[in-house]
Amino acid sequence: MSPRIRPPAPHWPSVRGRALADAGPLLLAAAVVAVVTLLAGAVPPLLAATADDAVRDAVRRAGEDADVLVHAELQRDDGPYGGRLRTPRLAEEVDDLRERVVDEIGPAMRAALRPPVASVSSPVLRVTDGSVLRTLQLVYLAADPRAGGGPRVTWVAGGPPGPSAAGAADPDREVPYDGPPWPVQVGLSEADAAALGVRPGDRIPLKDEEKRDKDVRVSGIFRAADVAEQAWRPVPWLLRPVPGVDGTGTTRLGALLSRDSLPDARLAFEQQDTQRTVRFSPDPGRLTTGLATSITANVVNLKAESGSSGDFTGPPRWQTRLDAVLRDAGTQIAAGYAQASVLLAGVLAAAVLVLLLAADLLVRRRGPALAAARRRGAGLPDLGSELLLESTAVTLAAAAAGFLVAGLVAPGVAWGWAVPVVLAAVAAGPGFGTLAAARATGDRRVPANRSARRWNLRTAQLRRGALEAAVLVAAVAALVALRQRGILPPGGGGDPAAAAVPAAAGSGTDGGTLPASAPALGVLAGALVLLRLLPAGTGLALRRSLRSRRPLAVFGAARAAATSARALPLLVMVTGTALATFALTLAATAERGLADGAWRTVGADARLDALRADAAATAALARRIGAAPGVRLAVAGQVTDGARVAAAGSVIVSPRLVVVDAAAYRELLATTPLPDAPDLARLGAPAAGGVPVLVRSGDGGMRPGMRMELRRDGGAPAIPLAAVGDAPAVDGADDVVLVDAAALAAAGLPVAANTVWATGPGAARAVAANAAGADAVSRENVLRARRDAPLTAGLLRLARAAAVVLSLLGLLGLVVGAAASAPERWRTLTRLRTLGLRPRDARWVAAGELLPAVLAAAVAGPLLGLLFARLTLGPLALRLLTGQPADPVLVPPWWPLAVVAAALPVAVAVLVPAESALRRRRRMSEVLRAGEG
Amino acid sequence: MSAGPAAGPLVSVRGVHRTYGTGAATVHALRDVSFDLTPGTMVALVGRSGSGKTTLLNVIGGLDRPDAGTVRVDGVEVTALDEDGLARLRRERVSYVFQTFGLIPVLSAAENVGAPLRLARMPAAERERRVGLLLELVGLAGHAEQRPGELSGGQQQRVAIARALAASPRLLIADEPTGQLDAETGLSVMALLRGVVESEGVTALVSTHDPTMIALADRVIRIRDGRLDGQEAP
Ligand SMILES: Nc1ncnc2c1ncn2[C@@H]1O[C@H](COP(=O)(O)OP(=O)(O)OP(=O)(O)O)[C@@H](O)[C@H]1O
Ligand SMILES: [Mg+2]
Repeated sequence: MSPRIRPPAPHWPSVRGRALADAGPLLLAAAVVAVVTLLAGAVPPLLAATADDAVRDAVRRAGEDADVLVHAELQRDDGPYGGRLRTPRLAEEVDDLRERVVDEIGPAMRAALRPPVASVSSPVLRVTDGSVLRTLQLVYLAADPRAGGGPRVTWVAGGPPGPSAAGAADPDREVPYDGPPWPVQVGLSEADAAALGVRPGDRIPLKDEEKRDKDVRVSGIFRAADVAEQAWRPVPWLLRPVPGVDGTGTTRLGALLSRDSLPDARLAFEQQDTQRTVRFSPDPGRLTTGLATSITANVVNLKAESGSSGDFTGPPRWQTRLDAVLRDAGTQIAAGYAQASVLLAGVLAAAVLVLLLAADLLVRRRGPALAAARRRGAGLPDLGSELLLESTAVTLAAAAAGFLVAGLVAPGVAWGWAVPVVLAAVAAGPGFGTLAAARATGDRRVPANRSARRWNLRTAQLRRGALEAAVLVAAVAALVALRQRGILPPGGGGDPAAAAVPAAAGSGTDGGTLPASAPALGVLAGALVLLRLLPAGTGLALRRSLRSRRPLAVFGAARAAATSARALPLLVMVTGTALATFALTLAATAERGLADGAWRTVGADARLDALRADAAATAALARRIGAAPGVRLAVAGQVTDGARVAAAGSVIVSPRLVVVDAAAYRELLATTPLPDAPDLARLGAPAAGGVPVLVRSGDGGMRPGMRMELRRDGGAPAIPLAAVGDAPAVDGADDVVLVDAAALAAAGLPVAANTVWATGPGAARAVAANAAGADAVSRENVLRARRDAPLTAGLLRLARAAAVVLSLLGLLGLVVGAAASAPERWRTLTRLRTLGLRPRDARWVAAGELLPAVLAAAVAGPLLGLLFARLTLGPLALRLLTGQPADPVLVPPWWPLAVVAAALPVAVAVLVPAESALRRRRRMSEVLRAGEG
Repeated sequence: MSAGPAAGPLVSVRGVHRTYGTGAATVHALRDVSFDLTPGTMVALVGRSGSGKTTLLNVIGGLDRPDAGTVRVDGVEVTALDEDGLARLRRERVSYVFQTFGLIPVLSAAENVGAPLRLARMPAAERERRVGLLLELVGLAGHAEQRPGELSGGQQQRVAIARALAASPRLLIADEPTGQLDAETGLSVMALLRGVVESEGVTALVSTHDPTMIALADRVIRIRDGRLDGQEAP
């Protein structure tokens, strides 16, 4: 050793020789680094891609809710002589608005929104012929000419609507307010014309709300050049009659206006009844999380600046749920990222521990060689630099391989997450090695000086205590942070891009790293506690075995007691199994939540919605479905959303009104996993003060014991209701008033059943077969759609992959730990064999040494995993993933857990015979000789 | 070679060869070694480092197999035994004392001494009595409950000797039992061995470098480069 400072000089042949001799452990460490860098490198970009998909999916699902509407009044047309002026260039005013709002939206919106369609629509009119209620709306559509204009149509009969005769004669004429209905020309689609039974030149019999006649004539019959054209989407009734838009049992039709007939249409209605509207539909394919963020901000601004609806001259009024849809998606994505970070943090923690263990194995194998190198005079810095060179080369090569594969499977690579693993892999080997070499210079004999020995012990204990305290404090802090703040980034968490940044960069700029590592830290802290308890346990086992008559038990227990303080293998095994359990539990809970959510949404295996409100027909349909093969039960009922119920203090609430045969509905519930509603039985008995109903209220506005009133349209007297119990959440509604059909009929309101629920394996097929135009909803389809949603599917996959990697890491903890302790174990066993222990019995002693830690990990690991899953389920916002109204109930996946727990003991049963077969080849003399010196 | 008593030699080594490695790296650790040991004697095996002492002891005790030759201990042909036979041999006839003691660290001195008796399935009461006797014999009666880590090196080796005597073996093999002890302690351990040969009637084969230990032996076997050098009585 030279006292002068000089740069460390690695001895290259030693570096190579060592690496070749210990290729096994080095390769193992490299494999761990490669797998973990692959995971850590690929998951964030994959998630980011999933996030983009999730945003698109959310917007697609939102449908018209995600459209951006801009409303503006038309200029007032008061004339100088007390009438209204016809405005021949009215269409230009509409184009104007379209142009103006296109300028107003920001570049992000322009990138993600399709070219806008401007429109003017009339109030909904009633078609006065026939018995069924039919309605009709006049619509002018003007798509952006730069996007081809349109919508494009071909006229199959007659021609496009022109100006009215009077308008053509005097385009700017003034019309008195109280004149006869102003004539308007419209075009009809073939289907609408057929439904009305009109031809070009015919007048459509129409009245407005105030029963005033309208003079609307058919100029021609058109066929859409492309029914998929954007412009048609919000007004499908222009193309064909659409049932149900204006209430159950109604059918809406549409009539198309042209540039020429628009000025007449304006005059045909009151000033304020026609409005310019510009509609942008988002193009989901072009959305990204980044765009979503700018769009949200943009929309919020536009909405804030928009004028009120009554304002003629003010700025246009912006109306859209796009910002809310994007914000919800952002929250979901943020939750998804957070959940993914938690899983990744777990994998990283277990991987770092495994790498430390692998370094420990390496150093144990190299102990004699390092000591020899020291004795030959190699300096510590030289040895350290040699080991550092080796670990750096191995780690970087492995990490490069991992990142390379990550780059191949994912649309990009994230570097940040892999940092701790790479650091651990680089530093652990040299660190442990240099320490071992430094110790090797000391006298290897048992130190004679007892007080020195005690002092050493004391400092080691203090150091360990400090480390444990640090982990414990960090775990508690992380858990508290997680439970108090939740996992979502602060500031609403609705910003998808903000959520994407920390996950992609792997940095904790938002303080999300601490909460995200709560389960990993908590499990580690639990493992440390277990590590403290294990010696006591093995000590107890040893004392018991000493009283037994089985010599093998004594030796096994003695070995277990001697090795019970070995930290890393136990930590890895416990952390691996616990976090694997955590991941599996997360996945199982989410799966169950999705399944429960589908049950809640559909209320049965299948449901038929929006039937024509005809009680007799619906009842017959229910009977037919109920008789179909594989159907257990089919129940008909009437479901009306937004019923007007006056609750306490005459507050009007709009619950879902459900009218069913209470007994039949309860029977239906019994055939589903949905919670029973015992109060349904109370609906049979008459109640004081009104028709007995069950209520359910999200905000407590309706409670059992309340008197309420069901308000009715058209001046019919309200029906008094008495809330006698709690209603089930019929098809997932938060606010429900459930009433028995017979009771309501007796109170004077006949039931018009519009819904059929069916349960049983054949329900979906039977309902689909009997749908006949109504909406068939199957639980299977709802469940599949939710499970396959990008974010959900991605996270479930990640959870399962993490569980597999984590349990493999746990097994690796056993195997590497056993490999590290094998030489000493078999030396001891060989010593026992010199006392007469038979070779086949040596195996039992070896198993006895390994089993206590393994059993402790197999029991405590899953328990810890379940505990932290239970503690973090709410803060992790799993409900956002499953779409449940409340935090899901923990669902331990017993079978996978049993496999995870059994894997370790089974591995011991494989490992020990393999190890003994391997060691058997060495003669006892060699084993004993190696133990000397 | 001195003739043994009428019962014949306890150990009889005939034409033993042991080589390590192959080709240029071949080491002839033992070459044609033959000798007998008389029961109830203490024999010192002496030779320079690398002369083959450990190899010879291992071959006699059945921890290693010779390439050629036979070894008989107490009428049993050690070189013909299978693993189970060797295990029985170690339980009943041959025991070892090592330079590094080889005690089980978590067990008390008494439990360490009792370990071979457990393997022999001796009843607990009898075992405890014998352990007490042995600890008294090696002068550690007051240290029965101490663990190896709480004993000095000399005390640990005494425990190891007591353990080696526990199952009443015919042959005790000790490979440099004083190698890790200072001269004075080493001498007392040797004296103890000398004493137990007398009191227990065991035959002890002890390898050592130390000339002062040799004085305590009934007989000295010298080995040089794997060959017996000559034998001399003290
Ligand atoms: N496993 C082995 N492989 C190769 N050579 C070996 C092996 N074991 C021992 N030898 C060699 O056999 C010879 C005899 O070794 P042995 O250990 O028996 O000597 P020893 O007399 O016990 O030495 P010491 O007094 O140093 O313990 C030595 O040259 C040694 O190098
Ligand atoms: Mg030797």
